[in-house]
Amino acid sequence: MTESASEALTSPAAPGPPEVKRRSWTKTARGLTETYGILWVTLLGLVAASLISDQFLTWANIQNVLSQNAPLGLVALGMTFVMIGGGFDLSSGAIVGASTVVAAELANHQSLGVAIAGTIIGGAIAGGINGTLVTRLRINPFVATLATSSIFTGAALLYTKSLTVVVTNPNFGVIGNGTIFGVRTSIVMLVALFVIFAFILSKSIYGRALYAAGGNEQAARLSGMRVDLLRASTYVLVGAGAGAAGLIYASLLNTGDPSNGAAITLDAITVVILGGTSLFGGAGAVWRTAAGLVLLATITNVFDLLAIESAWQQVTKGVLLITAVGLDLLTRRNAS
Amino acid sequence: MTHSQKNSNGRGNPRSEIAIELEGIDRSFGATRALQGIDLKVRRGSVHALVGENGAGKSTCLGVIAGRVAQDRGDVRVFGEPLDHNNPRRARAAGVVSVYQELTIVPEMTAEQNVFLGQVAARGGVTQDRAMRNRYRSLCRELEVSCHLDVKAGHLSVAEQQLLEIMRALLSDPRIILLDEPTASLAPHEREVLLRLMGTLSRSGITIVFVSHNLDEVLEVSDRVTVFRSGVIATEADRGEITKDQSVEAMLGRALEARPEPRRFEPSGAERLRVQNLNVPGAVSDISFDLFPGEILGIGGLVGSGRTSILRALAGVSPNASGQIWIDGKERRWPKTPRNGRRLGIALLPEDRKTEGLVGPLSAAENIILSDLSGSAHSGVIFQRQIIESSTKAAQGFGIDTSRLSQPANNLSGGNQQKLLLARWAHSRPSILLADEPTRGIDVGAKQEILTHLQRLADEGMAIVIVSSELEEIVAASNRILVLSEGRLVGTLENTSGGVDEHEILKHIFQTQTGGS
Repeated sequence: MTESASEALTSPAAPGPPEVKRRSWTKTARGLTETYGILWVTLLGLVAASLISDQFLTWANIQNVLSQNAPLGLVALGMTFVMIGGGFDLSSGAIVGASTVVAAELANHQSLGVAIAGTIIGGAIAGGINGTLVTRLRINPFVATLATSSIFTGAALLYTKSLTVVVTNPNFGVIGNGTIFGVRTSIVMLVALFVIFAFILSKSIYGRALYAAGGNEQAARLSGMRVDLLRASTYVLVGAGAGAAGLIYASLLNTGDPSNGAAITLDAITVVILGGTSLFGGAGAVWRTAAGLVLLATITNVFDLLAIESAWQQVTKGVLLITAVGLDLLTRRNAS
Repeated sequence: MTHSQKNSNGRGNPRSEIAIELEGIDRSFGATRALQGIDLKVRRGSVHALVGENGAGKSTCLGVIAGRVAQDRGDVRVFGEPLDHNNPRRARAAGVVSVYQELTIVPEMTAEQNVFLGQVAARGGVTQDRAMRNRYRSLCRELEVSCHLDVKAGHLSVAEQQLLEIMRALLSDPRIILLDEPTASLAPHEREVLLRLMGTLSRSGITIVFVSHNLDEVLEVSDRVTVFRSGVIATEADRGEITKDQSVEAMLGRALEARPEPRRFEPSGAERLRVQNLNVPGAVSDISFDLFPGEILGIGGLVGSGRTSILRALAGVSPNASGQIWIDGKERRWPKTPRNGRRLGIALLPEDRKTEGLVGPLSAAENIILSDLSGSAHSGVIFQRQIIESSTKAAQGFGIDTSRLSQPANNLSGGNQQKLLLARWAHSRPSILLADEPTRGIDVGAKQEILTHLQRLADEGMAIVIVSSELEEIVAASNRILVLSEGRLVGTLENTSGGVDEHEILKHIFQTQTGGS
């Protein structure tokens, strides 16, 4: 639960002062399973997947998996920040859906650049509304984002008159299907953003302040932090992530459709919790979400490769989530 | 007390002279041996105190009796009846009830609902509201406390919430009451009420086992004292057989250093802070005072007299506070947010370390630098090495074990947590430090240390305001004392050479009191 802090403090990269005692081997081993448990599980999943299906480790399949999950990854990345800050967002899926419409409309009537920037900014504005409701009006995040979720989807449907918007701009497909040095654009975007935001969360003043605000709001406030601003900013982040996700969907499917991406909200929350980020704020990490994402993506992919009915995926997802949280609670109980 | 002795099933032999018997109790938490071979007998109807430093094992011992903590080895017998391991329900059925240090009050429920929490009086599934209200009123009368029937418990002071907790314990017709630090948060007169009540209860046959840090009250009220040190019983004695110094020695395993001379202080230079006509609606009115660099100003008064409100208003935590404030001779706008307060150089060491001070899951090191993250950063990027360096430097001055800096703050003892918070402000150097109950819930050894650290910060030029329920402490530490009563300033006592004693403060308080609350 404190890995971000203690891991960094005891990692060999940070030369500690001489007073810091060396941990014993057994302690280190226990710490590794407690702190990095999700990494082992993910690794296990990858090994198992490559044994089950010889297609799994092919470059084409890896590209497929990653680009399929890029939208989910972007939303989960933002959700990580929201949850570390002690919040919650149920409206991401709705923002993704509405963003596909925004992206399609902008692509049809403006340049590609405007479509990209406009969609992401639009998502950020939607997130800003959530942040304002939660921090200014002090509405419970669950309620606030449940309500805006309904509003965003409804507004998008009203705009499209419940139809889909077909993209006519021939260049628009580049976002989802284009490549940079042979790698799909969406994958490059996903990896780059994960690296950048992992750094921001663990190494910047903003990131450290966010942990404090989520871990103990009162203490952070008394230390002179702008807790409301910090928390509101996380909703803007997840909103922008959802905007980018909508952009990718619209480009892949060449349509704007408010109902696209509705399932992404719960999947993103699943990924974040699977990684081990706390539901109560103040603890978690971007690498955790990355591990959770890879694990979930691997399992989904294996089911697809073996052509197992998709209902089984859903059951597995649920079992996985309960196992992850249950194991986490167990190790924590034993530790105390 | 309306206490009837039942001999229902599982309640043992009520005539047994020994109420509680522990035999060979061992309990470890990880590598820490919290209790080692504890043999303890508690006589029926006695008041039995468990004392010791933080982590000595006294609270664990209480937990074992309550069935809340499972022992690794050994037996617990209540009135001769063996209790299962780790079975709070079984202990409760045997007549053992506990009042925990961490209050279990539901803030959104009324005072009365809190008292009847989990034991609502009902007939045929229908609640008996009138019976409950009457019972509640009679309990209030017995305890001589004011009756807040329909007030939300969250609006009551910690002291009042604790009384609710004790009333709840009394409802179930207990034979043994376990109290963990019952007086830690009470004002002197409330403390008196509670101690007297403990006497009354024990005379009516109820056995009381309590843990306390306040040796004076322990020696005053208990029939027997058991002193714990690092998981074993250091010594045991009946009333009158042990002095305060002897018990401190037993607790620490060494003699306590003599209390240092009162700090001498001559105000020199310009005033650091001037406050005029501070008003916080419903808490304090018309408060004016000043504060010099290097001075320690104590605020004395009962719980609820507005001591904390003054500090919180200064720190910018009370948005509805109003008044005039000068800092270093310059008039400023009254701080309305903690951030504004910090900008003015004002920092608050809050009364409640857990909920307002520490960010528990973060490491101790990060907690130290929390109020000055940019001090460990270059252009927005924080360097781990810088965090360790700054926090180690700050921690060393306060005797914090630097090898524990990477641990979560939650894992540290109360004394170390408080030192951590002091280190936080020593690190970011506010010009005015407001310390609200800085030694609450901290054991004797560490208490003096905390006060010494505060004095050192003052020596280095910080202006400090201390609020404490322990008048002794105020007198020992402060150069000047403001006496508050019912939200008004009723006296200022010069204490430059340590001439003031506790009674003088009390006299001021009670002279001006307009009758009971």
